[in-house]
Amino acid sequence: MKEFLLFLPLTIIYLALKGTLFAAFPLPDITLIMVFYLASTKASTEGAVLAFVLGYLDDAFSGGVIGTSSFALLVIFLSVHLLSMLVQFTSPAAKAGGAAAAALVKGAASYYVLRYSNVDVYFFTHVVLQALVTGFFAPPVISALQWLVMLVTPRKFKDNES
Amino acid sequence: MRSSERNIYSFLRKYQVIIVSAALALFSLHLALTDKKEYARGYLLKEILSYTVTPVQSLMLGVQDSITGVWNDYFFLVGVHEENESLKKTIYSLVEENRRLGEDFKQNERLRALLEFKQSLPYSTTGASIIGYNIERWSRTVMIDKGSSDGIGKDHAAIAFGGIVGRIIEVNGASSRVLLTTDLRSNIDVMIERSRVKGVVEGNGTDGLVMKYVRQVDEVQVGDQVITSGLSGIFPKGLIVGEVTRVEKSGDNFFKHVEVRPAVDLGRLEEVLIIRERSFYNE
Repeated sequence: MKEFLLFLPLTIIYLALKGTLFAAFPLPDITLIMVFYLASTKASTEGAVLAFVLGYLDDAFSGGVIGTSSFALLVIFLSVHLLSMLVQFTSPAAKAGGAAAAALVKGAASYYVLRYSNVDVYFFTHVVLQALVTGFFAPPVISALQWLVMLVTPRKFKDNES
Repeated sequence: MRSSERNIYSFLRKYQVIIVSAALALFSLHLALTDKKEYARGYLLKEILSYTVTPVQSLMLGVQDSITGVWNDYFFLVGVHEENESLKKTIYSLVEENRRLGEDFKQNERLRALLEFKQSLPYSTTGASIIGYNIERWSRTVMIDKGSSDGIGKDHAAIAFGGIVGRIIEVNGASSRVLLTTDLRSNIDVMIERSRVKGVVEGNGTDGLVMKYVRQVDEVQVGDQVITSGLSGIFPKGLIVGEVTRVEKSGDNFFKHVEVRPAVDLGRLEEVLIIRERSFYNE
């Protein structure tokens, strides 16, 4: 629940900045990194719902086809959750590679959904570049998210535990 | 609870993440594929989001406008300074061009008037521009841009629209010097147009003329027109010299002191006509 309350306002701020002040800059896909982080560390029903909400917000802010990002993020959430049973995304390289791959998956999923809906999209500029930027920034962003989650998690001391 | 129910519950519990994710993914896909068909799917969520997304985006756009405004109004002024300097130069250039065009227009008007005057004269004349002034206490002459190569000779009369200007006293190949009527050395035989009283007009060394040898009994009054008499042979008869502005008795009680204002404003003169005929004794 705390991730839900923490990531939701962060996503709104990020998407608002992305659509206004930084519209011309290739920003890393923070929502995707959040979903990647949730799926690779503690996948839960709550995480799946959060992925759906974050994707929905992404589409709402960007003015895209509603459901596209939600679908892509849920596919990523599911894929990373299943992969994390086999691979540990602990090292920075694994996080970067995983996030970049997830961004490619998201881009490809969005691309094909949008193509199916007869919307013109450019695969290389919209998908590959986004994946590279996201992969590059994924390790520090995941570290920051972990730090934030720890910051809002109440500490338990042995003496106080019953 | 029966074992089959327990198995189903256990299965759902074990794979709840996958099941929920897959269900939501399918729902999202459904939204995405029906969104373009304008079905009312997801209408409620869209409405909710419109109340949350719009204020945040408006806030961000407000911040963006403020930053853009500060940039344009202050930091961007560095470029504006250079642009301002460039525009100033352009303005100076245009003002200069406008002034030059104005001068050309005025010159055109003067030359047209001079041409009309020239065509009305019964003499062969040559137009010339004044290229230099020599206005001193004892000497009042101007240089013109026509000389012997243009048929100009010594003692040729220089006139302008309105009256006489002077006579040629020095001739070069491509320029000549004109002795103005206001020079102390200038002497022109004249007469009063109304009363036909004759006399000699001399320069007073300033901007005026003095008509000499007018007797006390001669009829001269302020406002009379003074014209050339044609007796000197330099100026043809009947050209306007000026207007009488003052008539007084002189100290010798024999002649009058008559002051004449030149018909032509010699200080503002820019073009003249040179009469190319040397002698008018026969008129």
